[in-house]
Amino acid sequence: MKILGISAHYHDSAAALVVDGLPVCAVQEERLSRRKNDAGFPINAIEWCLDHARLEPSDLDAVVFYERPMLKFERILTSALRAFPQSWRSFPHAIKNTLGEKVWVRGIVASHLGVPRRRILFTDHHAAHAAAAFFTAPTRRAAILTADGVGEWATMTAGHGERRADGQSEITLKREIRYPHSLGLLYSTFTAYLGFKVNEDEYKVMGLAAYGRPTMIDQVRKMVRRLPDGAFALAPEYFAFHTTADCSYSQRFVDVLGPPRHPYDPLDLDSADGRRFADCAASVQRLLEDIVVDIAMRLRRETGLPDLCLGGGVALNGLANARILAESGFERVFVPPSPGDSGCALGAALFADRIYFRNADRDVPDHPFWGPAVDGQDLARAAREDGQGVDELDDAVLIDRIAADLAAGRIVGWMDGACEFGPRALGHRSILAAPHTSEMRDRLNRDIKRREEFRPFAPVVAVEDADRFFELPSGGARLGRFMSGVFAVRPAWRSALAAVTHVDGSARVQVLDRPMAPRLHALLQAYGRRTNIPVLLNTSFNVAGEPIVTRALEGYMTFRRCGIDVLAAGSTVVTKRAASPAVSLKESGEWSSSNVAASTVA
Amino acid sequence: MAVVTRGAPADRLMRPVHRWVWGDANRRLRKLLTFADVETDGGRDILRAAEVTPDPLLRRLYLEHAIDELHHGDLFRDRGVALLRAIGSRGGALSGGNPLPGGHGLDDLRIDGEPDHRLLAFLHVAEKAAAGRFAIYREMVDDDPQTRAIFEQILRDEVFHMNYTYTQLTRVAPQTYRRHVWHARAKRLWNRYLRVAAGIAGVFGNVALTIMYFVVLPPFAWLAKRAARDEAAGWAPSRPARDASPGSQY
Repeated sequence: MKILGISAHYHDSAAALVVDGLPVCAVQEERLSRRKNDAGFPINAIEWCLDHARLEPSDLDAVVFYERPMLKFERILTSALRAFPQSWRSFPHAIKNTLGEKVWVRGIVASHLGVPRRRILFTDHHAAHAAAAFFTAPTRRAAILTADGVGEWATMTAGHGERRADGQSEITLKREIRYPHSLGLLYSTFTAYLGFKVNEDEYKVMGLAAYGRPTMIDQVRKMVRRLPDGAFALAPEYFAFHTTADCSYSQRFVDVLGPPRHPYDPLDLDSADGRRFADCAASVQRLLEDIVVDIAMRLRRETGLPDLCLGGGVALNGLANARILAESGFERVFVPPSPGDSGCALGAALFADRIYFRNADRDVPDHPFWGPAVDGQDLARAAREDGQGVDELDDAVLIDRIAADLAAGRIVGWMDGACEFGPRALGHRSILAAPHTSEMRDRLNRDIKRREEFRPFAPVVAVEDADRFFELPSGGARLGRFMSGVFAVRPAWRSALAAVTHVDGSARVQVLDRPMAPRLHALLQAYGRRTNIPVLLNTSFNVAGEPIVTRALEGYMTFRRCGIDVLAAGSTVVTKRAASPAVSLKESGEWSSSNVAASTVA
Repeated sequence: MAVVTRGAPADRLMRPVHRWVWGDANRRLRKLLTFADVETDGGRDILRAAEVTPDPLLRRLYLEHAIDELHHGDLFRDRGVALLRAIGSRGGALSGGNPLPGGHGLDDLRIDGEPDHRLLAFLHVAEKAAAGRFAIYREMVDDDPQTRAIFEQILRDEVFHMNYTYTQLTRVAPQTYRRHVWHARAKRLWNRYLRVAAGIAGVFGNVALTIMYFVVLPPFAWLAKRAARDEAAGWAPSRPARDASPGSQY
């Protein structure tokens, strides 16, 4: 069976293709449209998936959308009615926004793809999250916990999944917490209050939290009431996301925590305001962790299962995930590489395959590399045309050469095979650097990433070396497989790993298993032979505000305009020359009419 | 090749409006921060053009152009932040900006699949218009030498941008370049019209929906609030996945 999964119209849309029970490809629309967190209908992603699998839309047995649009519309309308008359300003916006496109999904899919309407199916939003977490995890039975901002009505679900010996699968979501009570929206409200972009910059709040102390946790606790059944409820008087589209927090919220940060105001952690914002971040982070750990503990007692699959945007919170692993009693915690909405495209397709069509269960390959592959020849051609230094090398020579560059303090753009599905660069579209000094961290922040100084960089280490450098609990290596957990750097190594050790001594480490990315594994080993520390700094291959690069030319353009020294894609290595031709074009007049003939392309 | 020293007639007619906008510190700040985002978006679009063009010379020129635009975004942003610190504006007081829909980067131009001659013509027309407007804005900020210096620097770059785009257009489409420029002007005008029309339609839509909100919705709101009172917070049973029909949108 050929099933296309789609997520769209909220943030970070994506498409995924499942053929005969296995994923064939999956990609976020932003990676192809080059617009960060592109929420539009993922036509580029769909086209690429179909081209990659050499399918026509008519070959598809089903197209599955990741939520039920009319149920979501019901929630939007009901929320506006419940907030009457305060919702008068947001009502026109919400209705236009929803009726403009979002409820006509069946027609949009049918018109874009030309598939019969009966083949267009829908899943519950959190069922898609659950399927993305459970069906991609190497476990037969597991408890399932999903949490995000909001789907249709649910904001958090709890249940369990089973892949039975007879090949049939079950996902049972037994209970849910409903809008407006949402941990995701609580965190997003603080994201907005701290001057960051909602649905995009939540990880900045997590990074900022390490600089503060949870001194405001009592105030934040007033905003979130715990209930006897273990659930929680937001106190509506502190929030405004249910009444207005302009601002997610209320005046009372500001009265309690102080004035919000302006998005353009630089965050100065030495100032009183900066410390207050860091304390706010630490407080909401602590509260979120306490709640999810408590809910996970109850789920563990209830199910008695040793494994937990986590899904939804909240599962991107590595600090909370690590505490769940350490404190909830679960022995293994599985977080997919794309637990957020983009991953729902894959989840919806797998849910339809296993649950709707009752197809036999199959083990899903345990890696995140489902996107377009990089072609080193494209890079070589473009770099030669621009007069850059190009080498095409055998793999062993290339690995040794890159290891030498890294050991010499050069920053390397690393593109290898298919790109990752999900928000994390896990070794196929990465910027790599030596992890040893804080100067390297500052250089990356200043010359390449152009981002806030308080944000940490992540390390990557081979699984066999991880325990030497990081305090990984039992199950920690699994959680670190897709960079889903934050763990302590061993005190003895903190100064030698200064570029990747956060201010609180932690790191969001990627624990690399050789079969998942053999070339990066070989590079780590080669680097270790040179420096005795087989750890590298691994950050996503992009600059601030842009999606991670996908194809060779996108990597090359990023390489050309920022401080990356060396770019490797496939067997091609490009080394930046001191004076790049593009820099001199304006002054050279090479573009002008008198020189056109010389510049004309053959 | 043109060098802009004054704005288009329409922009010159709008001088009093421009003076009103730039004369106030808060509006000036908002304008600078809006420019920062528009220039950055535009820079990313041109970067995309550099990634997809098969022409090596254009790739290098687009790259340089994109770097300029991204730099302009930084200049506007840095100046905006400096003004923000000086006047001490807070939180959401500055949210908003352009009320018209659309307007991302290069007027929502689709870069992928667009032939170079069409993109060059569009860029030439857009850069020329921007240079004209920036020349007027430069005059409006005589009292603010730092902002004026930014406009002067950007104007120098804009002249390069409109000249290279024109020269390259004559190279890639030597027979038809004039037609492409006129076509780009017409398309730009049409896009303007669409934006204004969509803006007006949006206002009408808002008014109609607001009237409906207050006239039609109150009884339903009363019912919804009554129903909400009966709903307990906390865990609620989920509906079994199989109960919902796969084809149902509800």
